[in-house]
Amino acid sequence: MHDHMPATSLPTPAPGLFWNPYLQIFLTVLLTSAAQILLKVGADHSSAGNDSVWSWIGLTELGSWWTWAGIFAFVASFGGWLYALRFLPLGIAFALTNGVHIFVPIGSWYFLGDHIGWLRGSGILIIIAGILLLAQSVAKAEEKV
Amino acid sequence: MSLLAWTLLIISQIALVAGQIYLKRAMARRERVNNSGWVRTLIIGIATMTVWFLLWLGVMPHVELSKQMPLEGISPLLIVLGAAVFLHERLNWRGWAGVGLTCIGVVLVSAS
Repeated sequence: MHDHMPATSLPTPAPGLFWNPYLQIFLTVLLTSAAQILLKVGADHSSAGNDSVWSWIGLTELGSWWTWAGIFAFVASFGGWLYALRFLPLGIAFALTNGVHIFVPIGSWYFLGDHIGWLRGSGILIIIAGILLLAQSVAKAEEKV
Repeated sequence: MSLLAWTLLIISQIALVAGQIYLKRAMARRERVNNSGWVRTLIIGIATMTVWFLLWLGVMPHVELSKQMPLEGISPLLIVLGAAVFLHERLNWRGWAGVGLTCIGVVLVSAS
């Protein structure tokens, strides 16, 4: 079984915690989670009962300020994502962004009143286990370099 | 969920994978070479991700989120496969197990 793309082919980030690509992934996850919730609110506000072509390609939703707040959060998260891509393999970096599926249900519960049942709770725990395995995978690969 | 919604969601997933690969290529080229070629690759990546975003957002009000989100569960797997084919990235067994667990977890969260 092969290891990750050799770390020697990837550049080294600038010193300092803020420039750590894994912290940037975490910030990306937080901002993307906020964006998802804002976009859902915006879509519900603007497209309820609207079946036009403009609605299906996402343009009706642009009439809501909630949607624009979501887009702003997405754009902010995008900067962190591009930065992290400079230093991390795409497969690992993208898999780590699944943290969104931990924070979106928790945010939906807190802000939108969604219920977190045992199935959703189990899913969140499995995602956490998956992310821990990914972290171990990265650590093992970096040990070998 | 209608055939139109399914079709748009599948196109959106293809756009997501292609867009991420273009973004990674752009950022890798930015490190390696000192020309503006990476900007063009970055713009193609952003354009492709815009297609994904508008389709995903457009489908959202027309289907239940619990039906739309499981499709997102397979996206890490699609990205890892795309990165293996087009970027020659490789995962160790922990990486594959981690990706598999997160996919299962996302499907469970979405199905609940």
